[in-house]
Amino acid sequence: MAVPTAESVKEVREVTRIERIGAHSHIRGLGLDDALEARNVSQGMVGQVDARRAAGVILEIIKEGKIAGRAILIAGHPGTGKTAIAMGMAQALGTDTPFTSIAGSEIFSLEMSKTEALTQAFRKSIGVRIKEETEIIEGEVVEIQIDRPATGTGAKVGKLTLKTTEMETIYDLGQKMIESLTKEKVSAGDIITIDKATGKITKLGRSFTRARDYDAMGAQTKFVQCPEGELQKRKEVVHTVTLHEIDVINSRTQGFLALFSGDTGEIKSEVREQINSKVAEWREEGKAEIVPGVLFIDEVHMLDIECFSFLNRALESDMSPILIMATNRGITRIRGTQYQSPHGIPIDLLDRLLIISTTPYSEKEIKQILNIRCEEEDVEMTDDALTVLTRIGMETSLRYSIQLITAANLVSRKRKGTEVEVDDIKRVYSLFLDESRSTQFLKEYQQEFMFNELGVTGDTMDTS
Amino acid sequence: MATTWIEKLRSAQKTCLLQDGRKKVHFTFPDGNEMAEEYDVRTDELLVRKWRKKLNSFATKQNSEQWEYEIGEQLAPRNLESAGLMESLSNPIFVRKDSNTAFIGRVRNLPFPIETYNVTVDEDKKNIVIRTTNKKYYKKFDIPDMLRAQIPLNQDSISVAHANNTLIVSYKKPKAIIDMEKQIQTEIKKMKAAKDGDVDCTPS
Repeated sequence: MAVPTAESVKEVREVTRIERIGAHSHIRGLGLDDALEARNVSQGMVGQVDARRAAGVILEIIKEGKIAGRAILIAGHPGTGKTAIAMGMAQALGTDTPFTSIAGSEIFSLEMSKTEALTQAFRKSIGVRIKEETEIIEGEVVEIQIDRPATGTGAKVGKLTLKTTEMETIYDLGQKMIESLTKEKVSAGDIITIDKATGKITKLGRSFTRARDYDAMGAQTKFVQCPEGELQKRKEVVHTVTLHEIDVINSRTQGFLALFSGDTGEIKSEVREQINSKVAEWREEGKAEIVPGVLFIDEVHMLDIECFSFLNRALESDMSPILIMATNRGITRIRGTQYQSPHGIPIDLLDRLLIISTTPYSEKEIKQILNIRCEEEDVEMTDDALTVLTRIGMETSLRYSIQLITAANLVSRKRKGTEVEVDDIKRVYSLFLDESRSTQFLKEYQQEFMFNELGVTGDTMDTS
Repeated sequence: MATTWIEKLRSAQKTCLLQDGRKKVHFTFPDGNEMAEEYDVRTDELLVRKWRKKLNSFATKQNSEQWEYEIGEQLAPRNLESAGLMESLSNPIFVRKDSNTAFIGRVRNLPFPIETYNVTVDEDKKNIVIRTTNKKYYKKFDIPDMLRAQIPLNQDSISVAHANNTLIVSYKKPKAIIDMEKQIQTEIKKMKAAKDGDVDCTPS
């Protein structure tokens, strides 16, 4: 048995992609046109036209960045694209706007109080764009030379020659710099910048002078001009940090290293106040700019009454981000109380929310989504098989049918087929039960399962 | 004009110290910046002028411990590991070193003959640019003294010499600067300098 396992491992390694495929990795945006009208199929989004349009309007509010403390609730059945819409918003906002995504149950930690966790999440979603002058070295790599000692152990010695159109300079490299240069795969002909204070290397692209007609280049290779003037420049750089990062840096003696150790613990409110006033001061001086971001709380019904009342207050602060919540519950008990409320959220908070609802997908939409997922997961499928899968999706759930794609693909590969056919779908459909068939099965064979001798019925199970 | 600089120096808190044949003057300005000057005791030549700017950086917490040298050379030990990368010692090194009559910029480790260099004042009359025809060295530098006095640079005042692998760019000090320096010199002479070793300390 050991031999085939080893072989298959090797096989997997060869096809490993750099990015792994997640449930929502096909989402690239909200798929809206300039007039905020939703295109039916665009950027990985299918259907949910109304919900997407509503999300687009919210997006405009966020982009303007003036309104603080608005909250949006996305409500809908399981598998109707709530998380997908939130992801789409994150993608549409771009990397410059902080987007924090947490699940409702994440805040229940033994090390931290619930409100502290929520405050941290809030502050992670507010960015501060700081303008600072730093010294950078910008030039084209002429030569990079790294010598390892012949014995194999000991310090490496390195030299880096950089040039601009006007000058050339040789730099001696320290151990850390050698490592980061190798990590960044810097080679002769690259145009790089090095931040002198932090040692951060950024590759800007390849030099035009090094471009050859028949060089094999990745599609993302950018060609740039060789920089002019001096190698060392003072440049005004803009970096975006979140309020939470500033909190952490200033609450620990070891400074920014605390960010990497992960152990941030609770942050004193004095520190936060001090930072808020400092940031406000910078804003007046024009040194910094506030970038309000988005906090997305999935499965928001998992929050309890304390968190909800905290949210009520937190939303009133002018430093609060846009809050997006998602839930798949109907009228249910609010956690931590005996009261029933729509979406498991107290009415006073619901009153502050704009609610977007998602609707179940039509058959055509399911087919399109499955098609997109097939592409994303690199699976070829015949039209018939796709139709069958769509039927399964209609009768069971979208999630179940999406999960069958890769499973069916593996089955078809094992029989050395090139495309997934109806038979493969049938095969996996019989192999894996969906939720309703599994329930059916349980009902039939309930007697045979463990702890059933007492005759307790499943109805009393707490599902909240 | 030139007087604003003198005013600024007057407003600063000053301490003076005699050490190793140098008169060291330390200024702390009201905005928190520090400046230190070192004068030769015999010739009154300015040997070192260095600055320490107060950084107001909450977000990145950069250390503002380092002195920036305006005139003179930093004789700090090279520590490659902490710096990450440093200019190799074989590279040209630019140092400001003034005489009483001229601002002088010296570039060591430049082996090329004198025809290679092209020293000009750039368009905005604030910077001097050294170019090389073989594209090996380029340096754009300003003379902070002239910026402080708000006197535009003049191409005719520049003279260039090359000897012993060193390029020497001198800029003749205008009369206004020389007068101002004399004035500062007399002010400094008036200051009581603490001798090294005997600190002003009266046990009571």
